[in-house]
Amino acid sequence: MSAVPQEVPGANASAGAAAGAIVQATQLSKWYGQVSGLNDVTATIPGGITGLLGPNGAGKSTFMKLMTGQLKPSKGSIAVFGEAIWGNPSVYSRIGFCPEQDAFYDRMTGLEWVTALVRLNGYSETEAVAAAKRALDQVDLIEAAGKKIGAYSKGMRQRVKMAQALVHDPALLILDEPLTGMDPLMRRRTIRLIKDWARAGKHIIVSSHILHEIESMTSNILLINNGRILAEGNVHAIRDLIDTHPHTVFVRGADPRALARRFLADDDLLSLRFEPGAVIIETAKPDAFYARLTDLAATGEAGSIDEVTSPDDNLQAVFRYLVKQ
Amino acid sequence: MPIHDQGYRRYLGSRAAVGRGWLVITKAGIRTVLAKRSFIGLMLLAWAPFVVRAVQIYIAANFAQAASFLAPKAETFREYLGQQGIFVFFVTIYIGAGLIANDRRANALQVYLSKPLTRAEYVAGKFAILFLFLVAVTWVPAILLLIIQILFAGSFTFFRENIFLLPAITLFSLVQVLVATMTMLALSSMSKSSRFVGVMYAGLIFFTTALFNAIRGITGLTSFAWISPTETLEQLGNLIFRLPPAFDMSPIIAVIAIVTLIAGSAWILERRVRGIEVVQ
Repeated sequence: MSAVPQEVPGANASAGAAAGAIVQATQLSKWYGQVSGLNDVTATIPGGITGLLGPNGAGKSTFMKLMTGQLKPSKGSIAVFGEAIWGNPSVYSRIGFCPEQDAFYDRMTGLEWVTALVRLNGYSETEAVAAAKRALDQVDLIEAAGKKIGAYSKGMRQRVKMAQALVHDPALLILDEPLTGMDPLMRRRTIRLIKDWARAGKHIIVSSHILHEIESMTSNILLINNGRILAEGNVHAIRDLIDTHPHTVFVRGADPRALARRFLADDDLLSLRFEPGAVIIETAKPDAFYARLTDLAATGEAGSIDEVTSPDDNLQAVFRYLVKQ
Repeated sequence: MPIHDQGYRRYLGSRAAVGRGWLVITKAGIRTVLAKRSFIGLMLLAWAPFVVRAVQIYIAANFAQAASFLAPKAETFREYLGQQGIFVFFVTIYIGAGLIANDRRANALQVYLSKPLTRAEYVAGKFAILFLFLVAVTWVPAILLLIIQILFAGSFTFFRENIFLLPAITLFSLVQVLVATMTMLALSSMSKSSRFVGVMYAGLIFFTTALFNAIRGITGLTSFAWISPTETLEQLGNLIFRLPPAFDMSPIIAVIAIVTLIAGSAWILERRVRGIEVVQ
């Protein structure tokens, strides 16, 4: 196999940041038949970390798949690092994409899967294994690298997806709901990792329907709803709006009743109900709640916490409010 | 004491040029297939007729009394490739059914296609896996038989007299393999279940053959052989090997039927192999 001189994406990353736009969408639209996925979006995503915030079905994933060149724009254009992305595989090597859905073979080990994928980036066999190990180490999965993915927990699956996204050292990481299903400690660790990658010169676009997740990574956000960009810029502008709406959190743990007892002691708790193996709470102060939850997970006083997710009802309410305005 | 950097280090080696992704897909696919013992068994079985034919050629070359009825003719090679059709069928189902269906089930396509890999390269990589194994049970043994004939006979006489055999074996094997590979890839791209794909492929082969036989039984005509890919290949095979046609069907119709099948499969692949499944 012939080889070409290595491209060092990270090296260009700072240059890209200096030039300004990492992703430039101009009157971008995407229709799925009669359904509009993205509607006349003109936006500029700068270097660093940018949060793509919107409820499920808002068009975040469509926007991300247009950024990664997996979808062809129905109208308008999208450029990544100044180059049109559709049908331009040479740019793909500078991008790492972590999809929202599980995307792997359960019968393969994490190491096998990441190694197989990095080979598509042109790595030699030996280098691919080394790079895969480094990436798995980055996401704290090296000890489980030899285990079949089918035996991984939800959080481990998320991490193996992140490992395949960063294994080829891309300049731009596009992470679609990367924290979904992670336990609080892993969530905190992943947020720290994402910030570290940004400090190391990578550009990161991360989507979520939970403001608090995005807020802990960046203040630069893009608000998206019904396929349209509602607002872009600093997160603090909508911060207060969010806080006026109750926030629902689903917590799965070893002992939901013990968790509930701890939550009931909090002033900001608005409601609480049980589901099999989980407790669902409504809080008036999400920031304080998440901070307490992380501490609780660290101490293990109320048993292990396996999964934390937040339905997007609260965010949806804010979006409805914004649209009315 | 030296302090080593334990942090993330950028890859400093060389990278293959964009456009070689299909090779990675093919290599990985071949490795996966070869790791299955049952497949090795199937391949050994597929080569059993080759051993029988090789013994036949050996006896014909070394025992004069057997030469009259065992000596290879041009038809021998046509018959051999015709017999291999059954192994083409089984190898196609064994390897081909899951080629794209399994990736679709695992949602892996969206990850593959976010790498420096185009849809065409992905399909080419998958195509090459099945193509190579099918060539290994058709063209390779047939050409080896031709070489064995020359070696055992100790002369080029048969080869010179039947010089058309080399392109005939190559062309017929190519058509046979191309039809099986393209049809199976198209079917595999239409489902997430490799079992269902296998059943669809078998159904396609058996149903069209049964339909043709039913029409022949009712009307007595064989001009409808184009309905069945198997019978169309039979007709083309005889044409390529300069043998009398098997059916009362124009060669042009046979060629059109095969080209349509391949083009239809390519069209399905173009529509179905996408990182994102668009439900309308």
